[in-house]
Amino acid sequence: MRFNGLSRHNRLNRLNLVIMLAYITRRSLLLILVLFGVSVLIFGILMTFSPERRAATFVSSPQQAKDIPRIIKQFGLDDPFYVQYIRWIKEVFKGNLGWSLVASRPVSEAFWNYFPVTLEMNLFAAPIVIIFGIWLGTLSGIHRDTWIDHSTRILAIVGWSLPTFLFALVLLMIFYGYFQIFSPGVLSDHLSMFILDNPDSFKAYTGLYTLDGILNGRLDITLNALSHLVLPVLTYVIVVVALNMRVMRSGMIEELSKEYVITAIAKGADKHTIHIKHARRNALLPVITVAGQLVAYSMEGSVAVEVVYNRHGIGWWLAESAVQLDIPVLMCICLFMAVIFVITNLTLDILYAYIDPRIRLN
Amino acid sequence: MKGLVSFLSCLALILGAVGAEAEVKNPDTFVMADYRTVQTIDPAASYDVAGSMRIWNMYETLIFFDGSSTEKFVPLLAAEVPTVANGGISADGKTYIFKIRKGVKFHVGGKLTPEDVVYSFKRHMILDQDGGPMWMLLEALTGKGSTRDKDGKIIPAVFDTIDRAVEAKGDTVVFHLPKPYPPLMSILCYTAASVVGKEWSIANGCWDGNIQNAAKYNNPAPGHEPLQKIENGTGPYQLKQWEPAKQFIFERFEGYWGPRPKIKTAIVKYVKEWSTRKLMLQNGDADRVVVDTPYVPEVKAMKGLNIYEVPQLGFTAGMFCRKINPAGNPNIGSGKLDGNGIPADFFTDINVRKAFLHAFDRETYQQDVFHGLVIMPTSPNVEGLPYHKAVPVYAFDLKKAAEYMKKAWGGQVWEKGFKMIITHNTGNEMREAAAVMLAENIMSLNPKFRIDVRNVEWKDYVVKIRDFQYPMFLSGWGADYADPHNFVYPFMHSNGYYGKFMALQSDKIDALCDAGIENVDPNKRAQLYSQLQNIWHADAIGIPLYQQIVVRAYRDYVHGFVPNAMFTDDNEIIKRIYKK
Repeated sequence: MRFNGLSRHNRLNRLNLVIMLAYITRRSLLLILVLFGVSVLIFGILMTFSPERRAATFVSSPQQAKDIPRIIKQFGLDDPFYVQYIRWIKEVFKGNLGWSLVASRPVSEAFWNYFPVTLEMNLFAAPIVIIFGIWLGTLSGIHRDTWIDHSTRILAIVGWSLPTFLFALVLLMIFYGYFQIFSPGVLSDHLSMFILDNPDSFKAYTGLYTLDGILNGRLDITLNALSHLVLPVLTYVIVVVALNMRVMRSGMIEELSKEYVITAIAKGADKHTIHIKHARRNALLPVITVAGQLVAYSMEGSVAVEVVYNRHGIGWWLAESAVQLDIPVLMCICLFMAVIFVITNLTLDILYAYIDPRIRLN
Repeated sequence: MKGLVSFLSCLALILGAVGAEAEVKNPDTFVMADYRTVQTIDPAASYDVAGSMRIWNMYETLIFFDGSSTEKFVPLLAAEVPTVANGGISADGKTYIFKIRKGVKFHVGGKLTPEDVVYSFKRHMILDQDGGPMWMLLEALTGKGSTRDKDGKIIPAVFDTIDRAVEAKGDTVVFHLPKPYPPLMSILCYTAASVVGKEWSIANGCWDGNIQNAAKYNNPAPGHEPLQKIENGTGPYQLKQWEPAKQFIFERFEGYWGPRPKIKTAIVKYVKEWSTRKLMLQNGDADRVVVDTPYVPEVKAMKGLNIYEVPQLGFTAGMFCRKINPAGNPNIGSGKLDGNGIPADFFTDINVRKAFLHAFDRETYQQDVFHGLVIMPTSPNVEGLPYHKAVPVYAFDLKKAAEYMKKAWGGQVWEKGFKMIITHNTGNEMREAAAVMLAENIMSLNPKFRIDVRNVEWKDYVVKIRDFQYPMFLSGWGADYADPHNFVYPFMHSNGYYGKFMALQSDKIDALCDAGIENVDPNKRAQLYSQLQNIWHADAIGIPLYQQIVVRAYRDYVHGFVPNAMFTDDNEIIKRIYKK
């Protein structure tokens, strides 16, 4: 049947598109509200530190402590909360996120310097975590209570219970300490110096050495950057994959015990088709939720991985800033994480609708 | 967790021993791994040990320490070291004349002139950032430790005083002091006295050279000082790249006036984790790493290293607050001598202080905590400073400690007991050990004595000490310059940093401290500081804890290091280093 020149199918598609756009708009508007709420909350929490305590962040020795009262006056640290908040937000609207004492430069500049390091590791680690977790979980669920299941469960328990810091150290000592491979950092010194000495022949398009190496036709740089990623990615994957795997396994077991699966088996349907096409697809929903949250969370960087492997990313920066009470940095990263989580949730909602047609965004 | 880390460290040592020995990698490149960050490389604002390392290699001062000496100097940008004998220092100690070296080039071009030197000193003093180092030069050259009063307002006519303090005369620069200031020569070695190019500085937003406009350039917010990330010195190295909190790369300055350094490129890497630093040293990826005291045994067990033990000009003590702030202060319990607290003036009784001093086991502390790698000081005027002398110490004697406690507060302390806390800053294991040892020994005297040891994050610690919150706190002081005034004044003067927060009030001590800095006669100064050191002991002002010896670990193919007590473990004079 045609209606106004459009088929029913097309009309439904267009309706879905409109609904989705409305949904995205609504959630985007909500983002502004979320950012405002988060900024007030975090600013409020940080203001619970006394002005003296916040002024002391500018002080690193007893010799400098005599200037604390003057620092309070200079920055208005004893002004009422709302005055300080308005002052801060005004600067943010001007594009000034403040000065990072930890990074010794403006927060926005430091952010774009540290973020690619974290992003690069996540770009390699996240797909492995997701794919490997789904594969292992599926395998474990299908072969429930067999040696395959037991092995993967042990792997999951060990991985999840390993302190990341310790595990990272062990890997570093074995590979770098003993075999003298996979050195810490993001790139070897001779290549860093080459990039520094030849700014015209190597351009930092993305800030990710693996990608920039390819874009500049320097595969040696890509490979070198990749070798520096091996241990961080391995550590992160082994520690984090466990959660994904456990969720996938539970989902598979639940799906495989449902009546539609039993009926299909009774009717002689191909087991592989049942497992992969039906059960796994339905078991994916909770995994997507967990994986999405993991990816979002990992944008904050893994403190232990970045510290041990000497990769100066967001995680390292956040940890240092928290210890040193670098307020502009804490505000920036909290807001960044709020954005990431809102966007991740939005993406997940859209993905749900795609995977399970019964779910509608309205 | 610590046990596991130690186990892993041992494992790494074993694995390292089996692995191949590191070779001399990149003979003209020196790599150092450190964990302290640099806030700024502006000489007028930098006041941390990591920053001073960077600045000393890129900028130069008029004079510098002669090798390991902290009292003898060699000329750098000055053609010679002024003395009274050569007429460079006036007999009254109020005028210093420096003849400026010729043929010195700045990194970005231009030759050094006396005008550059004059401009540099004035510019640095005008900048005078809160929390910065300029108080030293301001105190010496203007008689005031700041350009601003306690409310942050500019002191009237202070910039005119600065303007008059330094002048260029022909090929010399003359300093006019309001009164004699014996440590001036040592202060002139500090990075705050570095010389910058005048024209280049003005072009980059520094003070424009007009004293009428000085206020505009005073006290910029941290990070907003114009030379925060750029440099134009005359030193043997220039800045190639600085990625804050990542790495700092120096490149040899080929136009340097002095002997050509052997190292072409020097990289200081920021490596927070000790195990990573150690493995870098083991594999030869770092030629030197910064080693904290707890890791010294690990480093000493490694092969292929040159280890140097360098005593530092620093003093750490346990200090008694004699006028604790009682308002809502949980650190003194009930605030009364009733067995559940202490009164605010608990430590005004010298018997209490002496009891604490007798309860501190210096020998065990030296051996168990430092493995003997420490100097046990007797007063703030530590070894290596002029006029140092070893004054008597209170020997570890719990019987005597008990006797003094029985006398304290007319016998009430012994009869009723007390409860208080001893605090130290979080993460300092040496101070923690001292606090615990002292607390246990005191508690062993009488079951009614109760002491808790508490660690407090450093920045909170500073704030609380300033608020007179702690009855007893453990803290230290590192040298700004090598003179007793820099140590005795903070610890003993009623207006000194710690003296104030210990609530010390003694006209006699204050007068001796003031006389010490105003006197140029070495014999007279020796007498004055001798008296002050005696008073530290007799008055039981505090418990001298330690004077640190830092360990420097280099690969064995790195040579040229010259120890100096003024340089902390972050420092490295790269022009002296070579690899062979």
